[in-house]
Amino acid sequence: MIILAICVGCVLGAIIGINLPIIPYTFSSYLAISIVAALDSVFGGITSTLNGKFNFKTFVSGFFGNAILSILLTYLGEKLNVDIYIGAIVVFVGRMFNNLGIIRRYYIDKWSQNGKEKVNNVEKRN
Amino acid sequence: MNKKWIASILGIMCFILTVAVVTQYKTVKNASQIAGTNINSDLKTEVLKWKEKYEDIYSQLGKSKKELEDVREIASNNDSSSSDLQHQLKTLNALIGTTDVQGQGVIITISDNNSITSDTVGVLDNINNYLIHDRDLLILVNEAKNAGAEAISINDERIINTTSITCDGNVVLVNDNKISSPFVIKIIGSPEAILGAINRPGGYLRNDLEPYGLVNSVEKKDNISISKYGGVINYNNIEK
Repeated sequence: MIILAICVGCVLGAIIGINLPIIPYTFSSYLAISIVAALDSVFGGITSTLNGKFNFKTFVSGFFGNAILSILLTYLGEKLNVDIYIGAIVVFVGRMFNNLGIIRRYYIDKWSQNGKEKVNNVEKRN
Repeated sequence: MNKKWIASILGIMCFILTVAVVTQYKTVKNASQIAGTNINSDLKTEVLKWKEKYEDIYSQLGKSKKELEDVREIASNNDSSSSDLQHQLKTLNALIGTTDVQGQGVIITISDNNSITSDTVGVLDNINNYLIHDRDLLILVNEAKNAGAEAISINDERIINTTSITCDGNVVLVNDNKISSPFVIKIIGSPEAILGAINRPGGYLRNDLEPYGLVNSVEKKDNISISKYGGVINYNNIEK
């Protein structure tokens, strides 16, 4: 169900994105950092859904809040001549890997349990 | 919080995310088309930013020019002497090349003779005769002006009073912009006079270009449009 929704969202987004005009190159670094922030939020959302701790408010505020905050930090960094966006990328990508790890372990556990149950069922029948 | 709700929220977020990713991808791809992929990335960013600034300012310039024209028109509506001036201004702008112009005239298309290679060219012949040079363009422009041309462009580069036509290796520089074969020379003026002058037997086109297969077409046209000069004309030393 969730995977289906994500797939539909991605396909629709790709179709609409292809037809949109390109943005000025000056803004593309801001868009890039906000994409990383949003990607982090989406992985966080998936993880919390799997853990059963999904909170609508936390997720949406994180999605937009992190994106906007990272854009502001990048802008500040550009004004101060410090590459603050590198820090943001490190944090976001680090969290993304954490969340990916949790998702991966969840599914490995699920599948290995399924396998055990099947084996148990077969043994019981025998 | 049921599962459908969660799924639709995640779906919407993924939708926004993909739109952003695809837009970004297209922007970066477009940028690498402009500035190449293998050069220093800082320099590339600089180039792209300056290009954007230039385009912004150029479009602002266009808007301001239009505004200026509107203001002038309004100002000259009430006054006959200023409407005369307005008319004069328009004519002069057309003449110096800062406005698009239309009219009857001649279009000449000339290009390098691609059927000749350095192997097939004769021993006593020179391969340079089979190429279009800056000199050929210069002579043709000069002949057209002599025959009464009012506006000329070569590959959409308007010939104005500060235009130079020079050689730049394998291309020709007109208004400091690189153009290359095939060359389309648009001339607005009396078609009969220009056609007669340029096509005359023993003229440059007949004598020096046609024997080498460089002339593609010379034709009269009723409605030729020549676009304005693309750059900015600077006068620093003329005392005003």
